[in-house]
Amino acid sequence: MAKIFLDGKPVEVAEGTTVFKAAQQAGIAIPHFCYHPAFVPEGSCRLCLVEIEGSPKLELSCSTVVREGMKVSTQSPTVREARRGVLEFILAEHPLDCPICDKAGECKLQDYYQDYGLTESVFREFKEKREKKVRIGDKLILDRERCVLCTRCVRFLAEITKTHELGLFERGIHAEIGGYENEPVRNGYSGNLVDLCPVGAITDTDFRFKTRPWFLTKGESICPLCSRGCNIYIDYHPGFPRVPGSAKVYRIRPRTNDAVNGPWICDHGRYGFIDLQQKNRCQTLVWNKGERTAEWSWDKVLITIGERVKALRENGKTNRISLILTTWLTNEELFLIKKIFKDGLGVRNVFFADPAPGPEDGFLLRSERTPNRRGAREMGFDLKAPDLNALVPDTDILFIFGPHFAGISHDGAWKPALEKIPVKILVTSHLNELASTADFVLPAAFLAEKNGTLTNADGRVQKIAAIARACFDIRPESQILLDLAREIRLDDSYFGALSAPEAVHHELVKEIPFFGALP
Amino acid sequence: METKVLTKDFGLDHLYRIGVYLEQGGYRAVKKALTEWKPEQVIDEVKKASLRGRGGAGFPAGLKWSFVPQKTDKPKYLCVNADEGEPGTFKDRSIMAHDPHLLIEGIIIAAYAVGIHTAYIYIRGEYELIARRLEGAIGEAYAKGYLGKNILGIGFDLELYVHRGAGAYICGEETGLLESLEGKRGNPRLKPPFPASVGLFQSPTVINNVETLANVPFIILNGAGWFLERGSPKDGGTRIFGVSGAVNKPGIYELPVGTSLREIIFTHAGGLKPGRALKAVIPGGMSCPIFKADEVDVKMDCDCVAAAGSMLGSGAVIVIDDRTPILDVLSKVAKFYAHESCGQCTPCRLGTSWIHKIVKRMAAGKGRADDVETLVRLSTNIKGRTLCPLGDAAALPVLAIARKFKAELENTMKGNA
Ligand SMILES: Cc1cc2nc3c(=O)[nH]c(=O)nc-3n(C[C@H](O)[C@H](O)[C@H](O)COP(=O)(O)O)c2cc1C
Ligand code: SF4
Ligand code: SF4
Ligand code: FES
Repeated sequence: MAKIFLDGKPVEVAEGTTVFKAAQQAGIAIPHFCYHPAFVPEGSCRLCLVEIEGSPKLELSCSTVVREGMKVSTQSPTVREARRGVLEFILAEHPLDCPICDKAGECKLQDYYQDYGLTESVFREFKEKREKKVRIGDKLILDRERCVLCTRCVRFLAEITKTHELGLFERGIHAEIGGYENEPVRNGYSGNLVDLCPVGAITDTDFRFKTRPWFLTKGESICPLCSRGCNIYIDYHPGFPRVPGSAKVYRIRPRTNDAVNGPWICDHGRYGFIDLQQKNRCQTLVWNKGERTAEWSWDKVLITIGERVKALRENGKTNRISLILTTWLTNEELFLIKKIFKDGLGVRNVFFADPAPGPEDGFLLRSERTPNRRGAREMGFDLKAPDLNALVPDTDILFIFGPHFAGISHDGAWKPALEKIPVKILVTSHLNELASTADFVLPAAFLAEKNGTLTNADGRVQKIAAIARACFDIRPESQILLDLAREIRLDDSYFGALSAPEAVHHELVKEIPFFGALP
Repeated sequence: METKVLTKDFGLDHLYRIGVYLEQGGYRAVKKALTEWKPEQVIDEVKKASLRGRGGAGFPAGLKWSFVPQKTDKPKYLCVNADEGEPGTFKDRSIMAHDPHLLIEGIIIAAYAVGIHTAYIYIRGEYELIARRLEGAIGEAYAKGYLGKNILGIGFDLELYVHRGAGAYICGEETGLLESLEGKRGNPRLKPPFPASVGLFQSPTVINNVETLANVPFIILNGAGWFLERGSPKDGGTRIFGVSGAVNKPGIYELPVGTSLREIIFTHAGGLKPGRALKAVIPGGMSCPIFKADEVDVKMDCDCVAAAGSMLGSGAVIVIDDRTPILDVLSKVAKFYAHESCGQCTPCRLGTSWIHKIVKRMAAGKGRADDVETLVRLSTNIKGRTLCPLGDAAALPVLAIARKFKAELENTMKGNA
């Protein structure tokens, strides 16, 4: 440990820490553009200057390592004046088009101008004209007038993805970010450049001109698109009180977690999420009666389904209930399924229908493309794919959770097979051809719309919360399951106490301590 | 006392051929150092001689060599800075063109002292003929066994390569040079780490100017005492001053370190043309703050020039007479640094360009009353705050001109208005 003095206050920090990090640990923010914790300090923006006693010049906090007894001023008049000077240089050539810039509201240059600038411009010359709309990737647009040349983007592509699509070209005032032979940034992680860029120089076509950051609410969640379980922020518009289901997700951003994803997420998750959350959603409760399709109330449908189950139960034939599950389900939902169907009703025919595994990229993206296969395994489920021959002859009632069965099952062979099963209940957040074959279609919540936990491939149990409901008449599967348990009067005292997901989680941990590892 | 040391034989025909060079006693210093001295002894002698860098910063060469770790599992490199980019400087080219073997000898001794087996001469791209001449000389030295494997049979190896630059001033800055030599864009590196520990290809590296190394053989042959006698106590030897501008005899003058600036201009370079008066002098290359006519009684060694508020730099003396408007000088300075900034760090990239834009406007007759004040403020905001010394090199001369010639600049603008 080294003892240093920050603005007069003594602080103890680990040896080898930089002044910047020491200040950060002490709650002192130092302005910076080029520094980013994931990269080696580059020292080019010159904004993080501090005064160190005994040094003739101001020093860079981002790259200067602490020395025992060092006395640092992070806010002295000289320091503030120097930072103001650096900002003045940047602002002189900056287009100042904040009113039409997506970054406005969360732009570092705006923030620092508030903190250090607030001066009038004395720049009387012509500003450089530069390209304002350069396509540098499938969804990325570069505005060279806004760029402050921090080279975070270049270093991300050099140090993290190692794909080197962008570089620094020309010199002096003409220096600019560009691609080689105009090859686009295409590496599966390109969206991170937008988050990394401290100003509005790199923007995302998915987000461009759609909304303003200050209209958005930030929700914490877990990416559902693979078993890495990257920590994310869901930035959504909470919607309008009188317009049910008007909440809308605008973008997904990484939420730093060094044990899982660091500060990054992949494009598959980032761009896939919004599509999944918004497209092909199942929104209405349906009861198919031959030719006639009718919309029903939840109560009526649950009573009806309950009666079918109860009928089997009275005949001691609940083993003729079969399940096709998905690992889009949370740990708590899988646990309820286990308690109700496996333990309570003795169901043995349990299959899993998940999206097909995809290629792994050696960085974050895993081949399992759902977030909770590990959770299902730890729960004691055997994750076997549906076997139609084993399924059809033994089934009177089939519960299907999730839409994936249609995608995996044998070139549509599932269709005639399902027709032989008397009662098919589909609980799903997404619609596809399965819905037309099912007798009951129950619209369920998508992952970011429910509370619970997911277990990533490394066995990390992580929380998700109900945010940003895109649809109106949907229910989380846990609620549907508990309602069903109540309908068929299965151990009222046990299930009756489980209304909150926390209570389910508590029971789950009691039975399987593995799931206790909540971070 | 004969003052010429390095340039003594420059008049000889074909000195650049190893035959002629050997007839003059060439490679005796290499023989002496490699066969009679231990590497540490070489470093000590160079330290004692107070040989200061001739490239610009005036850093003691022996001390620089001693910073390189003795024990390391990495290769060590020597990079010879022959980029000679500083406006006004034209001395290294004369050494390399006339006496390339002198440089090679200096390189071999420096490499031996530090334990280096690979050296590069990074030469500015425009010096094409000189680069060829160097390569010819290197070929000869290999043929005679002064380069290559087992030099002089003492088991010391040295490979020497010439690498031509592509025309950027910033590649003369030592870490910009390293990047360029590695095949990258010549952006200076953040220091620390210093090249002595992490340099070329991440390995310990010595970077020295051509003239610095060309002095080394004489120190070996004649001893530190002899060398010090020729210069100042803390800055030994002679320097090749390159005098240009409004003098009767522009050219290179090898004179003892510590010769007065007045003497250089009026005695050696023949003074100014009839009817003209001295207005200002830039003492060490364009990056050094300007002296007014009444400031030229300064001894030209690193410390004295620094004490007078400027730098000895590369010893390039640029003489300005009373017919030259100071705004012209300022325009040249502003344009050069704005053009040569690598663009990596904020104050230099945007500050040099802003200054250039103001000066251009002033030169176009559209100056404003507060322009000089703004120039002072902007250069103050660049000074000491950039990643590499080019920022200072750009700011200091502007600052000096704006302060020392404020009245003239303001008058020019009034005349315009
Ligand atoms: C912008 C800039 C340009 C430079 N150009 C040269 C050059 O062309 N030649 C040179 O020898 N040194 C140049 N230098 C100085 C080198 O960085 C370095 O100090 C020198 O090569 C070290 O050698 P020395 O100690 O033998 O002088 C330059 C420095 C800066 C900041
Ligand atoms: S585009 Fe953004 S991240 Fe890249 S150098 Fe410019 S400001 Fe930095
Ligand atoms: S001071 Fe100028 S030349 Fe040096 S790194 Fe900064 S921008 Fe490049
Ligand atoms: S953050 Fe330190 S120089 Fe940019």
